[in-house]
Amino acid sequence: MSQNSIVVTSLSKTFSFPVKSATAGWVKNLFSPEMREIIAVGGVSFSVKAGERIAFIGPNGAGKSTTIKMLTGILFPTSGTVSVLGLDPTKDRKKLAYRIGTVFGQRSQLFPNLPLTDSLEFFGVMYGMSDTDIKARVLELVGLFDLASFIDQPVRKLSLGQRMRAEVAAALIHRPEIIFLDEPTIGLDVVAKKILRDLLITINKEEKVTIFLTSHDVGDIESLCDRTIVINHGMVINDLPTKELARAFAYEKHIDLIPKTSFKKFPTLPAGSSYFLKNKDKITVTVDINKLSVQDSLKKLLELFEVEDVDVYNTELETTIRHIYERDSPRQ
Amino acid sequence: MKEIRLANKIIKTLIKDRIQYPGRLFADTSSLVARCGVLLLLYSYVFKLNNGVVNGATFDVVAWSMFFYFSFSVLGLSSISRRIMNDVTSGHVEVFLSKPIVYLSYRAWWAIGTGIYPFLVVTPLGALALALTVGIPQTMTTTLFISTFVAAFIGAIALTLLVYSILGLFAFWIEDASPVFWVVDKAVMILGGSYLPIALFPDFMYKVALYSPFGASVFVTHTAYESWASVWYKLIGIQLFWILVLGTVTYLMFSKAVKKVSVNGG
Repeated sequence: MSQNSIVVTSLSKTFSFPVKSATAGWVKNLFSPEMREIIAVGGVSFSVKAGERIAFIGPNGAGKSTTIKMLTGILFPTSGTVSVLGLDPTKDRKKLAYRIGTVFGQRSQLFPNLPLTDSLEFFGVMYGMSDTDIKARVLELVGLFDLASFIDQPVRKLSLGQRMRAEVAAALIHRPEIIFLDEPTIGLDVVAKKILRDLLITINKEEKVTIFLTSHDVGDIESLCDRTIVINHGMVINDLPTKELARAFAYEKHIDLIPKTSFKKFPTLPAGSSYFLKNKDKITVTVDINKLSVQDSLKKLLELFEVEDVDVYNTELETTIRHIYERDSPRQ
Repeated sequence: MKEIRLANKIIKTLIKDRIQYPGRLFADTSSLVARCGVLLLLYSYVFKLNNGVVNGATFDVVAWSMFFYFSFSVLGLSSISRRIMNDVTSGHVEVFLSKPIVYLSYRAWWAIGTGIYPFLVVTPLGALALALTVGIPQTMTTTLFISTFVAAFIGAIALTLLVYSILGLFAFWIEDASPVFWVVDKAVMILGGSYLPIALFPDFMYKVALYSPFGASVFVTHTAYESWASVWYKLIGIQLFWILVLGTVTYLMFSKAVKKVSVNGG
């Protein structure tokens, strides 16, 4: 866990596209259209050590997918440098492809009409593996990803959960050192999500594969990634261990109040606090600790209510992430 | 070696894929029989009206020339264009660009793999039917024909793939290149002699068919004619010339295109 797998320095990507002008004639619009530019990524820097499990998160349009595509050599950066496994993806795309795996949650790379074995063998050949190696690796992946029950079925007949497991297995056929996953759990049910997360942790631990994942699913981040990089408006706004994320940005606390008998009145709360849940058996109060300290809020709440038990805890990671996105000022 | 192994795997996998759907093979056969058969019936009538010879060509030669066009079209190499356009517009191109492959070469083998199964089934059957009905012209029994036909056929495959790859690559700039595709596809059909046999072309049109890459991409249709014995080296030379020119254009376009990739969500 000491060597850097990925080093990104001042990476930026600007997309430019023609915009039709209502005032200009069609000739101008066709041959010399007005160009508009969008800065998708604006000077991102970070590094990832071998074996890390990284969540690369941000709201829609934040620049996550653009960054991942520059790391894998699909997109060319406008400026800045990228080094993945010591290679420059813009110059060594093919060389790099042999050492990385990619899963794009919304795009399948498998043959829909053929059994999964055909796709796995196909990718084995694509990555230049020998027939013996392919057979051995397929057997390994079948065991690891529990593919045996559906490996002979045409891919189009698989459930979404099975297909995603198959997609990840296909991306691992050549034993990549890094796997990039772009929203791998999108559309999956809770059981399928858990299975996939557990599998990713297993391959990270057993095969030392570095995991670089984008997701909108807080569960993916919490249960899978030990470090989270938050990106918004094309800039890295936070980069810290996942377990510290909630702590560092939890400026809201929840306070549960359990009544001695039951709550009958719900008086106005002190400034900086509000009801999250109003029940005769339980009240949950949300406190903004920037406006009201936990100590003061407890003191005031205990004056207002007669309680048997009190519980103070952080808000969920999802709320914390929402706050991070909301806090970040819009791009100028 | 790695490239050949991958090409072989693509072709084998796609043949396996196509075999799953015999209905598609039936559709390909019906399409060939319908398109080629109707035209041959019409032309047989035209030749009969003219005592069996039009512009120095006999019906059996014309029939084989047209059959070569339709048989070649069963390979469906023009599909490379639509596949590239779809990859670009759907953003699926990102999946291929993250793999250790040369995208255009992969797509070329894919186009061959998709069409080779119907081609291998339909062509021998069609050739047999034609041999039994109109016979085999003397021009097709020479050693020269057999050896040069293979060269013209390979040249036709390479040139067709290049012409249609270029059309597909336009999608990186204009997204929907369908109108350009339509124009070129029709030019190839007409100059290849699918509607009007090349023996009946007026002089100007014959020259266009000879010197344009669209006509050159289906030079297999010239091989059945008597004139082939004296012009084969010139025609294969023209094919080679266009392969070199369009190969360079394709390479340059693709180098620029990959820098223009922009995919939804990135």
